[in-house]
Amino acid sequence: MTILSPSAVSGPLTVSGAPVPIATSSTLVNHLSVKPRLGQWSKVLIGGANLGTDESNAMSVLYPVPNGGRADAFVVQDQGGQNTIDLSQIYVYATIPGDTPMVEAFEYKTV
Amino acid sequence: MKRRELFQKALSVGAAVAAAGILRGQSSSSTGPAGGSRGSQLVAIVTGPFDTSSSPNGVRPITNTPQYATYVRIQAHPGQEGKIAIGGPAMASATGNVANSAFVELWPNWDGSMDSGQSDTWILSDPGWLNTINLADIYVWPEIAGETPVITAFQLV
Repeated sequence: MTILSPSAVSGPLTVSGAPVPIATSSTLVNHLSVKPRLGQWSKVLIGGANLGTDESNAMSVLYPVPNGGRADAFVVQDQGGQNTIDLSQIYVYATIPGDTPMVEAFEYKTV
Repeated sequence: MKRRELFQKALSVGAAVAAAGILRGQSSSSTGPAGGSRGSQLVAIVTGPFDTSSSPNGVRPITNTPQYATYVRIQAHPGQEGKIAIGGPAMASATGNVANSAFVELWPNWDGSMDSGQSDTWILSDPGWLNTINLADIYVWPEIAGETPVITAFQLV
């Protein structure tokens, strides 16, 4: 049977000074969300391989959440129900080196 | 269409109906419809404040046995003051800051003064409205012991 399961890539992503891909090799998922880590102060940029630290080519720019409320997030999902989002093509940058934006990815698996 | 082709077509329709029946059947290792099935009526199978305090380390899966949902929503409980971490099975054995093994954190909404009182919320749904989300694979940890995020899960039966 087919289930939508958390990807092993999910979790805090350490970004140290330059944009990093979410996965180092091709990893296809159905659903992806990137969110600033609560309590951290980085602005978080999301883009492709050409993402610049000056926000050039950014798909999304997320503000940190200083004091409660709803956190900003970048969310994308294949509405056709396929694993089509390649995590190695999505890059993340945090303006404070060492910060760890939260990556959430779900993939269809046959079990 | 020749008679043999008509017969083959009728056979394939019958097989599809039988497969649908199997999909909706109960399994000894899970509760409710099998994963990947799609019913015709949306039923709430998890609702209300979710208490994890009796579980080791305060980490608990949404259901203890596999149960497949099409939509799940977890909301920081208004008026409570701790973050909520949500993750996969790795959270069950996490040590130290459990949130370091999570994939999402929700900010608290302690007094409704931010964002017009809206609470931080995590939602996951199957785009095809199939029962594919195993609630036993989704773990929840309130930073403050005893706090109770509000969880809703729907299944198509």
